[in-house]
Amino acid sequence: MWKFSVRRTLIMIPQLIVLSILIFVLAQLMPGDALSGQVGPDVDPKRLDEIREQMGWNDPWYEQYASWMGGVLQGDLGQSFRFKIPVTELIGQRIYNSFWLSVATLILTYLIAIPLGITSGRFNDTWRDQLITGYTYVGFATPLFIFALVMLWIFGFALGWFPTSGSVSPGLVPGTFEYFMSKLYHLLLPAISMALITTYSTIQYLRNEIVDTKQKDFILTARAKGASETRVYNRHILRNSLLPIAAFFGFEITGLIGGSIFIENIFGYPGMGQLLVESITLRDYTTLIATTLIFGVASILGALLSDITLSIVDPRIRIK
Amino acid sequence: MKKTSKWLLALMLVLLLALAACGGDSDSDSSDKGTEDKKSEKTAEGNKDGIFSIEDFSMTKTNEGEAIEGGELTYGVVASSAFAGTLNYNFYSDAYDYEFIAWFDEPLFDSDINYTYTNDGAAEYEVSEDGLTFTLTIKDGVNWHDGEPVTAEDWAFAYEVIGHPDYVGIRYGSDFENVVGMAEYHAGEADTISGIEIVDEKTLKITHKTTGPSMLAGGIWPYALPKHLLGETPVAEMPESKWVRETPIGMGPYKVESIVPGESVTYVKNEDYWRGEPQLDKVTAKIISPSTVINALETGEVDMVDSFPTDQFVDAADMSNVEWLGMIDNAYTYIGFKLGKWDADKGENVLDPDAKMADVNLRKAMWHAVDNDAIGERFYNGFRWSGTTLIIPFFSEFHDSSIETPTYDPEEAKRILDEAGYEDKDGDGFRETPEGEELVINFASMEGGDTAEPLANYYIQAWGDVGLKVELVDGRLLEFNSFYDRLEADDSAFDIYQGAWGTGTDVNPEGIHGLNSFANYTRYTNEELDQLHLDGNSNEAFDLDYRKQVYSDWQQHMADNIPLFPTLYRSVLVGVNNRVINYSMDPASDLRRYDIGVTQEAPVVAE
Repeated sequence: MWKFSVRRTLIMIPQLIVLSILIFVLAQLMPGDALSGQVGPDVDPKRLDEIREQMGWNDPWYEQYASWMGGVLQGDLGQSFRFKIPVTELIGQRIYNSFWLSVATLILTYLIAIPLGITSGRFNDTWRDQLITGYTYVGFATPLFIFALVMLWIFGFALGWFPTSGSVSPGLVPGTFEYFMSKLYHLLLPAISMALITTYSTIQYLRNEIVDTKQKDFILTARAKGASETRVYNRHILRNSLLPIAAFFGFEITGLIGGSIFIENIFGYPGMGQLLVESITLRDYTTLIATTLIFGVASILGALLSDITLSIVDPRIRIK
Repeated sequence: MKKTSKWLLALMLVLLLALAACGGDSDSDSSDKGTEDKKSEKTAEGNKDGIFSIEDFSMTKTNEGEAIEGGELTYGVVASSAFAGTLNYNFYSDAYDYEFIAWFDEPLFDSDINYTYTNDGAAEYEVSEDGLTFTLTIKDGVNWHDGEPVTAEDWAFAYEVIGHPDYVGIRYGSDFENVVGMAEYHAGEADTISGIEIVDEKTLKITHKTTGPSMLAGGIWPYALPKHLLGETPVAEMPESKWVRETPIGMGPYKVESIVPGESVTYVKNEDYWRGEPQLDKVTAKIISPSTVINALETGEVDMVDSFPTDQFVDAADMSNVEWLGMIDNAYTYIGFKLGKWDADKGENVLDPDAKMADVNLRKAMWHAVDNDAIGERFYNGFRWSGTTLIIPFFSEFHDSSIETPTYDPEEAKRILDEAGYEDKDGDGFRETPEGEELVINFASMEGGDTAEPLANYYIQAWGDVGLKVELVDGRLLEFNSFYDRLEADDSAFDIYQGAWGTGTDVNPEGIHGLNSFANYTRYTNEELDQLHLDGNSNEAFDLDYRKQVYSDWQQHMADNIPLFPTLYRSVLVGVNNRVINYSMDPASDLRRYDIGVTQEAPVVAE
């Protein structure tokens, strides 16, 4: 396993270099820059040219890339033009929000998916199964952004149970218990909204696996040996059926960092997804490149993690 | 059999959902209509078609009741993104940041109905005989939030920072270069700015190269920067320092208590405020998404907003707990005609006599051909309406409504075109140039919002109706950044374009129409116009009547020559909870931010 992990990690290095060049060049190719359309009666266009020169935006892309890469290797992702602070600091503020939102979503997703998936698989083709499958189809068909708006309207505004925007109530001191509770309170509704919709795939996977495993010979053997139905399900079927979910877990990690563009925008929740969209529309290059790069690194790491977990859970899988 | 029934069930469930969703939709539709009807009965406008006029809105909140002690207020900044958090007038460039700064800091000068500096603010000015030297005196009792007095040195410090070679903000420009010695200082050739002299602790003298009334509308930088706090920080690092981002300091009515980056700021009363004690104990300003702003106002989650999206007003007009205020916006939409090129070496706009749109008759006919009032009513519920002159009614004293500009009259448009020799000679339904060549006018328009596409199509159709063949550049709407990139580069594919200007608060139009202005995207120049620009911002123009006359002539000149024509004037709306008093948007009002109070503990909630 160590050999496998090291090899996978080594492959990542050229992947990352290509990724960074690609992102950098594509960002440069976008029309306009952070100062486009800023010309106005209060702003001197000569000043804008001066800033462009000062920021080095007029240099050829490979020179800009070299100086940027030099910074990245020292852990400096550059300065955000719009926010006027180092990008690392900016991302630090946002990734924290996205991370906790995603952790909450993930926990809720599994809390919903595992019992429902087991019920659905164990009692397949009964009314219970049909109800659950019906729910997954509805979840599959409902666009997240519409569902989130409806949830926001019902629970945020009509009933007033949850706050409707932001990640924390204004005026609390970080580190206090109240601050923590307020954070939790703010991310609950977006997390529930997202979990209710995105859980369908996990339920479906689990159900199919269980239905599949149920008919395998070793289950028959277990039953023939006189194992109780609960034992058959918990010990034999469930363990084997969790495989695909374990494999999926690595990719969920990517989501942890990437956040959700829809959810964050609808709930006015300042996370990475929102930051990415803002940096694209405002051509905040350094932020844009840094966020896309982090997403890229996260996906690569996620895939790695998936492979490794899979090889731990399933001893049959060993890459030579 | 069993399988089919299962699928059937699933299908039924989905259909059920779809039906339920449809049902919900039609429900909300009918209730929408219901509110619309109710509203038209209720509102003073009495308009049955959901069409409003900004003239029916007051700029000042009606006061019912007395302000309570210890009130708290929540202020919503309507935005779909986080605010940048550069909380200082000298460094910010994000319009939302401004809304957060304005609660805790303020300009040293107060201004009047024409947005011209007066002596009623925290500082006074005196002008020398030749108009070039301004003596600025900060009043006693004007202190920073930490108790230190605001000094002349702080004011000069703002100039030194903005003019510094390491400064990366957008504020530096011709207004600053106008200070004697600033250009040398900015180039790094001098350590000090020779034109700025600190007379004593409270007095500052600034000498300029040229002068005019624009000096009193932004020409003098009205913001100070606390030198005792930022004096040691290198200029390049100031925007990220804690005095800007974490514990920003100003001299305004409220002090920053805490900040949640990108989301909200809370303020407490500044008891030491130079005008007197503010009414409220606590203010919270926070970002509110445009998609939830109606609900936030309805439930009292926010007491007021900086600017309410006018396209949602139809759904919000009958809110019982909110009073709607409105005024004319300092922005307009326009159609521009590309008439020349930017000469970068000379730094001048140069007219091209052979430009496709060079004939003023053609331009005039195009103005006659479009019905902007209908656009304003159909797309904007009357919150935008047909523009006339290029000094907009926002500048109420300078806008000359007596000037006659082309109105919607397609027959007149056809007559002008016929007379000018634009006739359809080959019978394809479109006119050719007087020389008999095919005439295709390329129209550049930006994407954005639901209205961009139908609007552009309407214009193309209206021009088609008078026989002009107009096509979209690239056959589609352009993305914001590429639109401006190509417009600024005088892309030859653009013949006409639709754009918008925010005018700021200085009436002087030279910044966007001048000979040397890069922002003059039509590239139109004219000697008479140059003279008017000079006259309008000369020493004589400190006389208001003279200046009005100059700008009236200016509006006439633009109406006669039509390098661009304003299509739509706009309005701003603000919703204010009934419990809020002493608030006004009116530039002529005496009410200031520290006067704002509330009449009860909790916001009024919609019935």
